[in-house]
Amino acid sequence: MSREPEADVLVIGSGASGAALCNRLSGYGAKVVCLEQGDWVDRARLPKAHVDWEVRGRRHWAANPNVRRWPADYPVGSDGEDPIDVYMYNAVGGSQIGFAGNYWRFAPSDFRVHSLDGVAVDWPLTYEDLAPYYTINEAEVGVAGLAGDPCGPERPPLPNPPAPLGRPGELLVDGYEKLGWYWWPTEQSITTEAYRGRLACDHRGWCTFGCPRGSLSTADLTYWPGALKNGVDLRTNARVREIMLGADGRATGARYYDKDGFIQEARANVVVVACGGLGTPRLLKLSASPAHPDGLANSSGLVGKNLMVHVQSFAVGHFKDPVDGWRGTWGGTVSTRQFYETDPSRDYIRGFIMSGCPGWSPLNLALQIAPWGSGHHAAFDERINHEISLYMCGEDLPEESNRVELDWDHLDGFGMPGVRTHHALNENSRRLGADMIAHGRQVLEAAGAKSVRDFGLAPIWGWHLLGTARMGNDPKTSVADAFNRAHDVPNLFIADSSSMPTSGGVNPSSTIQALALRCADHIWETRRDS
Amino acid sequence: MAYDRKQGGHQVAQANRPDYRLEVGRAEVPVGVPRGFAVLDPARAATLRAWTATLIPSAHGRPDAGALGAAEYIDATLLKVPSLRPALLHALESLERIAMTKAKKPFADCDNDVREQLLRQFQVEGDADAFSMVSDFTYEAYYGHPEVLAALESATGWHGLGPVTGGPMAPFDAKLLNRVKSLPARWRHVPSETGGS
Repeated sequence: MSREPEADVLVIGSGASGAALCNRLSGYGAKVVCLEQGDWVDRARLPKAHVDWEVRGRRHWAANPNVRRWPADYPVGSDGEDPIDVYMYNAVGGSQIGFAGNYWRFAPSDFRVHSLDGVAVDWPLTYEDLAPYYTINEAEVGVAGLAGDPCGPERPPLPNPPAPLGRPGELLVDGYEKLGWYWWPTEQSITTEAYRGRLACDHRGWCTFGCPRGSLSTADLTYWPGALKNGVDLRTNARVREIMLGADGRATGARYYDKDGFIQEARANVVVVACGGLGTPRLLKLSASPAHPDGLANSSGLVGKNLMVHVQSFAVGHFKDPVDGWRGTWGGTVSTRQFYETDPSRDYIRGFIMSGCPGWSPLNLALQIAPWGSGHHAAFDERINHEISLYMCGEDLPEESNRVELDWDHLDGFGMPGVRTHHALNENSRRLGADMIAHGRQVLEAAGAKSVRDFGLAPIWGWHLLGTARMGNDPKTSVADAFNRAHDVPNLFIADSSSMPTSGGVNPSSTIQALALRCADHIWETRRDS
Repeated sequence: MAYDRKQGGHQVAQANRPDYRLEVGRAEVPVGVPRGFAVLDPARAATLRAWTATLIPSAHGRPDAGALGAAEYIDATLLKVPSLRPALLHALESLERIAMTKAKKPFADCDNDVREQLLRQFQVEGDADAFSMVSDFTYEAYYGHPEVLAALESATGWHGLGPVTGGPMAPFDAKLLNRVKSLPARWRHVPSETGGS
């Protein structure tokens, strides 16, 4: 194996952040190698390419890796008072291949949680620092939405118009208007018009089950085509075992198993870890050495800690008239940030969003509400096409006790350990969650629902796995600096959801990708230092 | 977002707990494909077909789950996941035992009302996990079936093929936002002296 660097930058992970990094850096002319433990998704096997898509979504496409068990998946256990049902994908495009497309910017206050509200930590950067990269990213992926929302700072127009409301959205708008609340069309990572060679959304809905049309802006469709054209060497089925260090303490590359199980090395001047909220701490801990006995870049002891997942639930309204709930984007067409900012009159700090979706699809609805036996069809028919669901997402503050650790009792297909998460909602999250659900029920009733059911706060949906290698200015209380550079290793960057110091109260993909672009620019601008 | 979860009583899928829900990820079994039985003998196949038909009976112009091949779908799943076979075989034996004790004839030969009573007894006394497995797989085979999806459209207005064919929708009407646009800004300005890079 060659000892010389074969690339300027090695990126580990090809998901939302890794793809953006590879595209951006290769666009500048950097020689980039990317190691991805999974493979390209076979688009013919996307559930939504088939009539029985709901069934396929529970098996081959199951979001929980313990169910799906693709060759690249590793075991994920869950402990704690409120255990996380982990949802993530190991493939080119990462967990975005199964996301709904909700694509929010953080609010300026999200970057200053400690200064404004006296809890958690501030980010080592501001909204203004990240805003230009939000804009670049929105153009790259083709975000749909409308500028002018009074719940956020001014911003440029978005590249695509908002998704159609459909009857569910119209009903929710009625509810918001009756209550006098703020609302706005949801920003979605969906091409509502033909955009940069991609087709316009044709409203099939249920986006998390894959978009055969390619209108859902997943990283395999947005950033990867350009990155490959720029010459990025993307190596799939490459399971990284450890990050290598030189005698000078600098990262020299990574050692990985190739698709045949043979050990290989990839060497570069700069190494970027972009494996997500569980995968990144897993790899850093696997890279322990005598110089870094508790894991690489872990002098703070915070690698794997402060795992955040958001406080999430659904409220479901039952309406007398049909709602045409079988069409339209699923991630939510209309949203409200009425309760997003901290309000001293409430018994908790921070806040939440609500985003309206169509109702449930047949199989999932039947599993939820239709008992077996002679009463089955009557119960089902009363609900199908008569429900609207409201997705609710609130801030989950960081707690060191919420964490992810290596699990040597459960190994992946290459003999490497799985992980185990430990999670409990704190009192603030419970209060926030209760208020969030109460307000969700309120708007559905205002919209005309004759009854409302909700999902409570269990299970803890683990779509958003954040904070396990957080950024900060102080090496004692953070893992990476304001540009995602590891405090302990000067040419190692941690650029994914794990780097987020706090969670905000919105879906994180937009912020993850904006951070990645900013990190890429910093790597390029300081390449001679690195 | 995850929405393929039952409301209430949900347990987090764990890597270290035997659970039929964890065993089926690699078992791709297309719904609605004509197939016979591979794992079950004819007698047990008849019991399972009657079981699925009892879970989702014929009504509202829709066939029962047994007539749509739910039992064959379950059998095909077990063909791919042998670890699930013992639970089903034991459950079928238990159900037949209850039927012979209570109804004095095989489960499949009982009428609908009796089968439902027997199955409710089995649900209480038998292997709850096996019952849940057969129920979940039956629901999958039923609500993934094109014949059911087509029937739903005429009965409920739910366009069962819409999620794979799409269709036009009216664009967003920005005039709806007139009131909201007139409202004052609702976000916190961050003082420049706080934190920062």
